[in-house]
Amino acid sequence: MSNTELGDAGTDETNTSSVPAVRLTGITKRFGAVVACDSVNLALQRGRIHGLLGENGAGKSTLMKMLIGLVLPDSGTIAIDGTTESIHDPLTASALGIGMVHQHFSLVDALTVWENVALGDAGRLDPKATRGRIGEIAEQYGLVIDPDKRVGDLTAGLRQRVEIIKCLRRDPSIVIFDEPTSVLTPEESEQLFESLRHVVAAESRSVVLVSHKLDEVLHATDDITIMRQGKVVDQRRSVDADARTLARAMVGREVSLRSERAALGIHSLDDNGLDDNGLDGNNLDRADLDGIDLEEGATATGHTFETADSDTSNIAPDIGPTAVPVLRIGKAVVHDADGVIALDEFSLEMYPGEIVGVAGVEGNGQRALGDVLSSLLVLSSGTVTVDGAPVPTGKSGAMAKAGIGVIPEDRHDSGLVLDMTVAENLVLVDQSRAASRGLIDQKRLNAFAVEMIEQFSIACSGPNAPMWSVSGGNQQRVVLARELSQEPKILVAAQPTRGLDVGAIEYMSHRLETAAATGVAVLLISSELEEILELSHRIIVMHSGRIVGEMPRAEANFEALGLLMGGAAA
Amino acid sequence: MADFFSSVYEIFTTETTYSNGALLAGVLAFAATGEWVAERSGTLNISVEGMLLGGAFTAALGYHVTGSVAVGLLTGMVGGMLIAGVQAEMSHRLAADQFVVGLTLNILVFGLTGFLENEIAPDSTLARKFEIPLLSEIPLVGEALFWQRWPFYILYLLIPFSWWLVYRTRWGLELRSVGENPQSADVSGIDVNKRRRQSIYYAGLTCGLGGAFFLFGHVGPFENTIVGGRGFIAIAAVIFGGWTLRGTLAGCVIFAGALSFRISIQLIGYDINSELLQALPFIVTIAGMAIFAHRVRAPAALARPFIRGLR
Amino acid sequence: MTAVDTAIDSGVRPSRTRHGARFSEWIALYSMSVLAALVLSAILVEATGGDWRPVVNALLDGSVRHPGRWGETLATAAPLLVVALGTVISSKAGLVNIGQEGQLFVGAAIGTYFGFLIGGPGPINVVLILIIGAAGGGLWAGVAAGLRYWRGVPEVLSTLLLVTVGGQAVAYGLRWEWLLLAPEGSRGNRNQVSEQLATGNRLPRPDLFGNEFPLTVFISVILAAIVAFVLSRTVWGFRLRMLGRNPRAAQRSGVSETRYGATALMLSGAFAGLAGAAMLTGGGFAFGNYQLVPGFSANIGWTGLLVALVAYEKPLAAIPVAVVFAGLRTGSNFVSGTGVESRITDVISGLLVLALLIPAAVMFLRDRRRARAAATERV
Repeated sequence: MSNTELGDAGTDETNTSSVPAVRLTGITKRFGAVVACDSVNLALQRGRIHGLLGENGAGKSTLMKMLIGLVLPDSGTIAIDGTTESIHDPLTASALGIGMVHQHFSLVDALTVWENVALGDAGRLDPKATRGRIGEIAEQYGLVIDPDKRVGDLTAGLRQRVEIIKCLRRDPSIVIFDEPTSVLTPEESEQLFESLRHVVAAESRSVVLVSHKLDEVLHATDDITIMRQGKVVDQRRSVDADARTLARAMVGREVSLRSERAALGIHSLDDNGLDDNGLDGNNLDRADLDGIDLEEGATATGHTFETADSDTSNIAPDIGPTAVPVLRIGKAVVHDADGVIALDEFSLEMYPGEIVGVAGVEGNGQRALGDVLSSLLVLSSGTVTVDGAPVPTGKSGAMAKAGIGVIPEDRHDSGLVLDMTVAENLVLVDQSRAASRGLIDQKRLNAFAVEMIEQFSIACSGPNAPMWSVSGGNQQRVVLARELSQEPKILVAAQPTRGLDVGAIEYMSHRLETAAATGVAVLLISSELEEILELSHRIIVMHSGRIVGEMPRAEANFEALGLLMGGAAA
Repeated sequence: MADFFSSVYEIFTTETTYSNGALLAGVLAFAATGEWVAERSGTLNISVEGMLLGGAFTAALGYHVTGSVAVGLLTGMVGGMLIAGVQAEMSHRLAADQFVVGLTLNILVFGLTGFLENEIAPDSTLARKFEIPLLSEIPLVGEALFWQRWPFYILYLLIPFSWWLVYRTRWGLELRSVGENPQSADVSGIDVNKRRRQSIYYAGLTCGLGGAFFLFGHVGPFENTIVGGRGFIAIAAVIFGGWTLRGTLAGCVIFAGALSFRISIQLIGYDINSELLQALPFIVTIAGMAIFAHRVRAPAALARPFIRGLR
Repeated sequence: MTAVDTAIDSGVRPSRTRHGARFSEWIALYSMSVLAALVLSAILVEATGGDWRPVVNALLDGSVRHPGRWGETLATAAPLLVVALGTVISSKAGLVNIGQEGQLFVGAAIGTYFGFLIGGPGPINVVLILIIGAAGGGLWAGVAAGLRYWRGVPEVLSTLLLVTVGGQAVAYGLRWEWLLLAPEGSRGNRNQVSEQLATGNRLPRPDLFGNEFPLTVFISVILAAIVAFVLSRTVWGFRLRMLGRNPRAAQRSGVSETRYGATALMLSGAFAGLAGAAMLTGGGFAFGNYQLVPGFSANIGWTGLLVALVAYEKPLAAIPVAVVFAGLRTGSNFVSGTGVESRITDVISGLLVLALLIPAAVMFLRDRRRARAAATERV
């Protein structure tokens, strides 16, 4: 695998200027004993889109944060247009023409669009000029928006539009996009990449696309840099790249199992219509991969699985005409805090042993669905019944008691108490197994925790380790262990693999499939279509709080789901 | 009973009622305006009481040394800002709990001024009255608003200035964003805790002025019991006003009205439940919150400390 | 595990080898900031023409050295501790109750009212006053709880505002004989005062080595042990902590925020009310001399709150903290004899609280910074 530095290799072939817009040389950043970025070299050319690919935790975000001044490098230099610069805060970065479109957390709901766009600038506040500028950008890039709308009232897609305008308004010559497609439909993503192309070509800007999705990067970029464990492991032109080698570079071994490929954002085998960059879907077909040394993969992730599990699991359970649904949601309506409708006559029936995938762009009611099933939201109207018995909504603990286990979208939100110990977190929902007559029995609590830690291979210093000291992947295992130990009838898994590395994703998928095989009805809520297609027996698509489509896995494909996610009629 | 009502009528038609009310409302307005700014940035600053008292004391000191009310006002501001400094640096640099710091400051300032008052015994006086011609002839309220001791008129600048500051300047925009969503503000390159500290300093400044005005416009000689809970009423006014400047000022006027009505009615020989009237601002605020809490939106990050990386 | 997972593990958890260093760091920070507070106070005394040495002497004399004084100090520490214990309970539930001053006063007033109304033989009457006092404080906090859970009014604000309302309500009661005011004959020269408790209706004050203090001292220590046990060992305490640390996880897990939160807030008020009733029945001369007067609460509520916060919500740690703050209070009575204004002790205790806040804040920030640095990569 060539490890040449792209910036040098690229200069004679392309018509970009010989001095790269950004050159990072020997950038190193340590956090304690861990090296987040290890002498990273990277060059960004003008007029090109550069994909920065890597698993969660590979160091790509840290690298970009150094470029916009949110993190300071320990060593190494950053040169902008050939001049070495010290970027110590976001304002400096902005003055140098570097802008970033953030994934989350950069907009203030209570402020209007124009106020948000103006936020973070320097100089006098000028509403008229800001509004005017928003209009200009809208015209130039087709990003139309009402500058006087409150941002809190906008949809996820429009909010991202505001983010992009906020970034482009300062006319940056270097633009960083951080995982931009998580809130977009496939179609919207396409449009975004198109306008990106436009931005780059017309004004010879330099764009970085940070992503963990392989296909997306292959498809939308000119150059690709792959990071793993803080190091650059490969740099090449997109035209010279194929999914298989990229995947291997990203993970550090052959990518074997289907769910791993799903995790890398590689579309499933039967629909590779979007793969027009030389990725032959068959490259990755299981038939071809059968020869791969699974031992190697297993060692790398630390778990040993039977491949047979994932091979057979996608076969839907036999649901006869007489089958009784274990969960029935009837015409559920939910209004959020601002009175906006979050679930709109949502009806669903689930049968034991099936995995139902809920596809949809983020912010279309999935969160409300998860919250209702976690007793966190009250239905304005409608019913939830488990095994035929109605469950009161919004009553604390009622859903859990009825047999609904939940792996929440954000485990820190309702899944864990970070300030309590691992053992305590394992009995959050039900203390009875570690208590007698109202007193916590420390011995039984410990014994139970040790058992769970072993059974779910939770890496922690012991049952009494504070939850916050445990890594993200292992925190997720604690949630999983607790919920499964409750022997639920229904398991809601909302974005269960978000932020996990490939090994952990594989583990999670395996556990969900096993749960379904033992008769648990699994409701998989995910914004990653690949994950949905990989695991589900039946797929429903949500848009604006409604179900806009439903189909068995066999009939589903990427394009059709993508269209539905955008709100097209089924 | 009819007698009572005619007395009330008399009170409402006497200019002194309005003058007294305006004085009290003035003190509250000085304090509440600054507190409003602080709360918009996300700090529930409960050291207002201490800031008022500290401001009044340093104002007395300033006058004691120089014999000038103007200097007294300046030293009052400095005093308020010194206390604000402790509050700001402790709660938004060291991340100590803002309520503990605020409560402690109130007690500390009370003790300190009591201690120093005894050791130094500063003397001070009332400021000169100043009449704004024509306007002061408006019936009933003319005198109250335009024939006041001169530090009162600072309010006419302070209030519009504060409004402009919060709604029309970049600083104000950043301030509001910090009070609503500090994480986003941080990502946008705004130093969240710095803005919050600055807003507390601003509150210190206006409260210091308020304390000084209280001294020179209302009391004369300093005593450390003069503030007597007015700082808490100012906080109540901000909450009552639903975190808008207009509402806050309305709260000041209403509460001051209630308090001065009590004084007036006592002066003409009635004693209607002075306890009830003293508690009234608080009861009204609590009732207001109970009714409007679901409709009025407090700054989303009010009273939530910001530490990067911690949601 | 990815690089970052490891980073979080190694960066956040203090490793074993650093443990000793950390401990001495704590000690150093604490002694430095406490010393700074004391030096600052000394400078203040000197600057105003006094001498700090006699002040220290007077403080020690007044709080422990003089005959009978440490009994007085313990008697003052007891209500502080009880208030602090209540505060610990509400804080564990994630609630910010800052209205103890009012809850204490209202509790004492309601206890007084019903104590005289119901009467009964001495010992039973005392217990009755204590129980009703606690109930009264709990009810007053219950107003805030009701506003919080049914109307969404933040308890920080309502408890604070209710302090003044409560104070005025009691003052009102002290105006009317049918409420709290003593009959004309037993008022003395005061016009807002309740009847004095008869000698038989007071808490016993055992005498130890020439120091007498009310039974409240023992009661408060026992309560501290009980609160510590309940919070750490019982299912109820477990669930309360869960609610305080993550209300959404608690809601999902069957901990009703309304039920547990309201209970915790009312318990917190009940402890304050109990402290008030204990001050009335056992406080002696330091607290209104067995009768209710305006200003009876004497900042015990505020100071008790500070005790809880300085003790970092640890019931047992609150015991020594309460004694220190009580000592400053009883010591202050002797300070005026030195020619230095006795309110210097308010200054000292204020500075002390601020000083005690600093080490934890500094350490917290440093830990956070390390954790954040390590976790920056976490998406």
